[in-house]
Amino acid sequence: MIPPSPPPPASWKFSVRDALIAAGAVTLAGLAVWNVLQNMQGAGLAPGFAFLWQGAGFDVSETLVPYSPADPYARAILAGTLNTLFLAAVSLVLATVVGLIVGLMSVGPSPIARAVAGAYVEIFRNLPKLLVLLVLFVAAVTGLPHVRQALSLGPVHLSNRSLLFPVPVLEPGHALVLAAFGAGCGACWLLARHFARRREAGQAAPPLWPFVLLALGGLPLAVALGLGLPFAWSVPQLAGFDYEGGARVSLQFMVIAVTLALYHGAQIGEVVRGGISAIPRGQTEAAHAIGLTPRQATRYIVVPQAVRIIVPSMNNQYVNLIKNTSIAIAVGYSDLMSVSGTVINQTFRPLEMMLLTMAVYLAICLCVTTQLNRINDRLRLKEGRA
Amino acid sequence: MWKSRRLAPLGQAFRTPLSALLSLATLALCLPLLWVALHWLVLSAVWPWQPAALCQSQTGTCWPFVAEKLNLILFGTYPREELWRPVVTSVLLCAMTVQTGLQMTGRGLPLRLGQTALLWLLALGLSFALMAGGVLGLAPVDSIRWNGLPILLLLSVGAIALAFPAGIVLALARDQDRVPMLARLAAGYIEIARGVPMLTFLFVGIFVLPLMLPPDTRISPVAATLVALIVFHAAYFAEDIRGGLHALPAGQAEAAHALGLPYATTAGRVLLPQAIRRALPSIVNSVIGAYKDTSLVVVVGIHDLTATARMAFSDPEWRSFALEGYFVVGLWFFVTCAFLSMVGRQLHRHSPAR
Repeated sequence: MIPPSPPPPASWKFSVRDALIAAGAVTLAGLAVWNVLQNMQGAGLAPGFAFLWQGAGFDVSETLVPYSPADPYARAILAGTLNTLFLAAVSLVLATVVGLIVGLMSVGPSPIARAVAGAYVEIFRNLPKLLVLLVLFVAAVTGLPHVRQALSLGPVHLSNRSLLFPVPVLEPGHALVLAAFGAGCGACWLLARHFARRREAGQAAPPLWPFVLLALGGLPLAVALGLGLPFAWSVPQLAGFDYEGGARVSLQFMVIAVTLALYHGAQIGEVVRGGISAIPRGQTEAAHAIGLTPRQATRYIVVPQAVRIIVPSMNNQYVNLIKNTSIAIAVGYSDLMSVSGTVINQTFRPLEMMLLTMAVYLAICLCVTTQLNRINDRLRLKEGRA
Repeated sequence: MWKSRRLAPLGQAFRTPLSALLSLATLALCLPLLWVALHWLVLSAVWPWQPAALCQSQTGTCWPFVAEKLNLILFGTYPREELWRPVVTSVLLCAMTVQTGLQMTGRGLPLRLGQTALLWLLALGLSFALMAGGVLGLAPVDSIRWNGLPILLLLSVGAIALAFPAGIVLALARDQDRVPMLARLAAGYIEIARGVPMLTFLFVGIFVLPLMLPPDTRISPVAATLVALIVFHAAYFAEDIRGGLHALPAGQAEAAHALGLPYATTAGRVLLPQAIRRALPSIVNSVIGAYKDTSLVVVVGIHDLTATARMAFSDPEWRSFALEGYFVVGLWFFVTCAFLSMVGRQLHRHSPAR
């Protein structure tokens, strides 16, 4: 990590050179804008974002919000953005799991596991993610069975079109259960802060987990039972040529999520390995010498130090993964990038669309970076206090 | 005790229960995968000297397909009678990369920085001239037909070679405090470029860049893509080099200042040579990333290796051999990236910074 540039001196005098540079930048930008205006006028278009409220007329294959081709472009873009966020969230979790497993394997006691983890990292470091995606996609489309012969594991069905799984049927009353869950979360947070303060003050505090269990599990359950809410599952059933009911994610989505998990899992694995092996051996040896068990040595000596090395690089990894969800366009999953590609082709408004798309990606990445930096700062603060 | 040293790791693998469990779990997971791979690649493969008709009955790699379509995968739709031109271009660019890579690890021809830069400019100019034709009596070839390996190399190597100096300028602009406006512009640009996917830059290059040019000027998709790649990678190189600049002791700049050196000399003779040397490992990483990501140009309609592989297996006669096509492409990327990684590792081992 590079520290950010030093802030400019408090009294920033606007020098002649600054003025010249600013004038140059403004002139260049103005020239580009002027040309864009000229060219758009030539094509009979006036720049502006009003087109966003025209009917889109194209379908977005799978959406998290209700969407129909009659909806305006703005809603299509919203659906694409939500798809990107969903894909990013799923891939982040998968990639972290893969990365942790690979990283721990490569510092573990077994030479066989170490060799396999090393080979895995080496393979994915030397292949472009697009190629991994295309290979997995071809393999999935040709290797998985047709819908009617779908692989079934209980109520979960996997075919070369989609993955189907049962979901609970939602009714209006379930909002209350959700509210109870939210209240439970809030209570847990307050309780955790209270206990932490007591411990800091040197007072004893009971363990947190029974309260968490009670607040997150018990409270919503009590509300559901108290209201006598029905609880049913919507299970996918084979009907004619396709399944009905349940929820589905497309093959495209799964292939992209798996690609990103494998590709970034290798990189996160390297980060984890680097973080753990950066702890000098003397630390563990010293821990053993003062009588800590190997378990305690790992818990109190190695992990806290390794985490502080790992988290800043993880920040980079997560941002890269979010940006890389845009390769979804190559297999036709309707994420933000591919929706804006379609909109550009339909409306021929590349300038507006690309400004919008870049702004959305930038906003997502900035949010994630700020949150992760906050975690990072908190970890560092603890170090100072100890 | 294990007598042979070679078998010692095996002993370690099963010494403790945890270790044995890990080893067994890994083996259980990997042996089936290895078996499938071996089966596909070797045991039930159809070799290039066997008749192609066998591919229909065998389940393994169909090498006759690769033999038949290798030309198409490597060079796409470039005119057959002019094939020597993409071949020479590819060899030239590969040779330049190998030379520069070896030079960084202390082998290869000992050239000075200026000479290397000049050689790169010459090689790139020559490559473009060879591919485009229209000079020296070469028949002109439209850039739509520059496919496969040469376009991948031209775009990746060209973008990296030209983005590097741009990155140096950006890093210096961001890291100086004499013209705060310039530092702010550079910082803003770098942060924006690093916060958006490369595909958005490619889209801007293909769709918006032509609009930004004066009316009635045209820019070919290849040139637009190259510009987008240069502008994008420059931000990443700038951050690498800035990392190197930050690793320098402040005394270096102060001493140069005390000697009365002007800023240009300080930057060019004192700061940059040391900063770049320190930043080389992360620069090599960025180069590998940039090279691999060049394959994304297929999304904006440039036919690089993945696209020509698709051309090869979209021939109805060879429809079911997609994996073979991608395998060849993967092999190429694997070998070239392994070379670049090797350069990076050697830099780590005997870092010339000390």
